[in-house]
This record gives sequence, C-alpha cells and structure tokens, in this order.
Amino acid sequence: MSLIWATRGRNWGFRFLRDGGFQDPLPEYDSVFSGVEDEPEAWRRVAEKVALRFPDPLGRKDAAGRVIPHEFVAFGPLAEGVDTVADGLRLIWPLVAEEFARVWERPRPPSSGG
Amino acid sequence: MKPSRVLEQNIAVFGASGSGKTVMLSSFYGATQEPQYRQNNLFHVVADDAGQGTRLHQSYLGMKNSARLPMSNHFSATSYSFSVRLKDEPDAKAMKKKPFDALRLVWHDYPGEWFEQNVSGPEEAQRRIDTFKSLLGSDVALLLVDGQRLLDNAGEEERYLKALLATFHNGLLSLKDDLLEDGKPLVEFPRIWIMALSKSDLLPNLDVFKFRDLLIEKAGDEMADLRQVLAGLVEGSDALSVGEDFVLLSSARFDAGKVEVTERIGLDLILPLAAVLPFERHLRWAELKLLPAKVGEKLLSGAGALAAVLVGIKIKRPGPIGPVLKFVGLVLSQEVLNDAAKLAGDRLQVLHAEALAKRDYLTAALTRFKIDLEAGEEKRIFIRSLR
Repeated sequence: MSLIWATRGRNWGFRFLRDGGFQDPLPEYDSVFSGVEDEPEAWRRVAEKVALRFPDPLGRKDAAGRVIPHEFVAFGPLAEGVDTVADGLRLIWPLVAEEFARVWERPRPPSSGG
Repeated sequence: MKPSRVLEQNIAVFGASGSGKTVMLSSFYGATQEPQYRQNNLFHVVADDAGQGTRLHQSYLGMKNSARLPMSNHFSATSYSFSVRLKDEPDAKAMKKKPFDALRLVWHDYPGEWFEQNVSGPEEAQRRIDTFKSLLGSDVALLLVDGQRLLDNAGEEERYLKALLATFHNGLLSLKDDLLEDGKPLVEFPRIWIMALSKSDLLPNLDVFKFRDLLIEKAGDEMADLRQVLAGLVEGSDALSVGEDFVLLSSARFDAGKVEVTERIGLDLILPLAAVLPFERHLRWAELKLLPAKVGEKLLSGAGALAAVLVGIKIKRPGPIGPVLKFVGLVLSQEVLNDAAKLAGDRLQVLHAEALAKRDYLTAALTRFKIDLEAGEEKRIFIRSLR
C-alpha cells in the first residue's frame, strides 16, 4: 500500500510500521516532513505526497505519559482527497487502527512491512 | 565577535526515550530567556541559530502556559549551539588580553530509542553513528536516570537501574567499531560521566547522597562494567571519571494539567558543569600524572585558557584560539594552573567580587560558575568526585 506510517508504542520507541514498499522509508519520510513544525497536528502536500501527523485518536500514551503521535506519508491514489488532518483521520486512520490496537502494548516493537 | 575568540564546550546527555532529554533542553534555554534570568546573570544565553532558539523557546512556553510537552525527536538528532554572551560591552582593551571572550555550549539532542532498539534502515544507522561521534567529542556526559522509572520500581529499583546501565553498556559496545577510526582509542572523549537523576522532583526525599548510594548499592557492578566499556574507547583511560559525580535535575514540576517551569532543580548547574568541572578535573589528573603526553596537551590547553581568566592573568598575544590556548598552557606554571583549579570558598568569593567591581565580566562569570558548583554541593544536589 502506498503508505508510510511511523509511530511508537507504550514501551517501544518511534519506528516505521508501514514502509510504503521502500527498503529504507526514512529518506521518503524526510522529504515530506522536513520543515514541518513541531505541532501535534500537521498536514502538508509536497508534489504528489501528503505528510500527515495527528495524536492517537484514542489518546493512548507512552510509558513517559506522552500521547502517542502517528505520522504518515501517503502517496498515489491514497493521497488524493486528503487535504486536511480531518481527512487523514477519516481516510487513513481506519487503515491502521486495528493493527495499532494489536501491537501498541507489546513489550517489543513489531517489524515494519507493507 | 569573531568565532575564533570563543571557547566551545560540548555536552552530551545520554538518556533513554522518555527520560526527559528534550524537556531539559527546552527548560534550560527557555529559563534563560525569562526576565529574572536576564536581570540576575552576567551573561545572556543566545541560540546561535535564531530559528532553533525560537523553537526551543516555543517548547518552553508550551510547557509553561499550556502544559504541553515538546515533541520527541523522530529518526534524527539536532545539535543546538548556544553562545554565552557577556552582558555589558566589556573593556575592549582588557578583553584583548584574555585568551577568549565568550563561551559556547553545544548540546546534542537525539532520539532516546537509539540506545534501545534497532534503527529503521541504513540512513538512520548512519545518523546514529554520526551523532554518537559528535557526542563522544564532548568534555562532559550526563547519564540520565529517570526519576519516574525509579518511582515505578520502588523497592526493587535494581530492576530498572541494571537494565538502564546494561542498555548504555550494550549500546556503546555495539557501536564501538563504528565509533573508533581504525580501532584507535579516542583522545577527545567525555572523560567525566556524571550520573544525573532526571525528574528528581518526583522523589523529594532523595538527596544526591541517597541517589548515589542507591545506584552503588543496587547497580554497582553494572556501573563498573560501563566504566570498563568506556575505558575501552578512550586513550589514557586512567583519566576517566565514570559514576563518581552525581547530580539531581528537574526541568519543571509536572502536576495534573500543569507544568511549573519555575520549579527547577539543578539546571543552573549545566553551564558550570560543562565549563569549569572538566577544567578542574583535567588539572587534577595532570597533577596525579594520569595523562599521557598527547592527551595532556589536548586537555590542558583549554585548562590554561580558563585558568588565565579565573586568576586574572593577562596574556600578551591575542589571536586565534588554537595557538593562544597552546601558548597559555605553556606559559602558565603548574602552580598557577593548580591555584586556579583549586580556587574555592572565601577566596573565590573575593575574586568574584573584585571581578564584578572591575566590570571584568568574563572572570566574574567563570568564578560565578565555580560558586554555583559549591552551592550545588551545599544544597545536596551535586557531588563532585574526590578522586
């Protein structure tokens, strides 16, 4: 799926859970997130890609008490129609919500894929 | 101000994810922008990159006004460079006779995950190595022990402490080959590894002596193991203090929905720890003949410059910092150096007052740093190694 997803769990640190098919998703992530402000919510379109960040919709927190952020890079058809954070919550979050519910409390990070 | 007249000190803060590194950095910088800090201190702390300064200040205000914690670092590190600028324009002629006229503090912030889990790919792996290489060029390292985690493990603190120290130990060991060029031990390396309790406001009954005792009682073996790993990275490993200095830190008091950024502990010691603690320690090691020639030359050149300023010796040959530092190191006698390092108590207060009266703000600032360290010891938030 044309989606990069980075997040953290209660006890595991920030990492990519979807790599969008890239062997190393970090350069792609950087290309759209560089310069995005340190705000809890962010939306930005760079060329055909969308950078999206929002706090966990269920308010789940990490071990240090910080609400867990989710960050996405969407591209291809998936990026169309995502013009605000609210669009992202409506169109992108449902794609990963169940997966996050399964893994966020695990003691160790799951590996990335997809 | 020409950059060549600036003495740069790097500080390395090592801490697991969530242990308070970014909060500490924001709190340190934000507080220096408050009106009372600007009034009460002889210098301003100025972010060399204005954009970074604004972001840090914004994070601080977010905590202060909206109880919002700064965002953690994701996949990359950032180095923040702060200039400690003297308040009033000093006497230009007198300043020319000083080996340097400003201090710079470089503070590296990075994702705590980098010690704890695998990186996402080759790009992040390279960033991690580059960051740790910069960190290991610092003079002083703070190893953060998370007060919240101690509290969570009350009664069996060893579970957390052993795991934390093992994480640092294994993290450094696994990067060893990448950190050393051709396997050669490093000359520039933090030689003072201070154990620092972050979020210490959560443990109001723990003074720095109890913190030290807890670490030694419950994780003494792991501290010794960590020392061994660090010794394996550094040239002249006798000149190394690991777990001999301790400090309590708290960036703010966090209550439900409120962050009291004015209730801070130990953050005023950061500049003194970075600037004058290594200077004193390096000279003591020289006196004890623990420094191999190459290491001594490197460490003592900076010490000479600081000593000259502290005891108010005028040097004749101003110029770029490198040659001047070497020059000062050579011309100052061992007695003068030791005298400057051991300045303490009443004599320190007198020198500080004299420097203030003469509007010699550089000497005044450095003597103030030494006074602050003494005050930290009296308040039982700081222990200096006796070795």
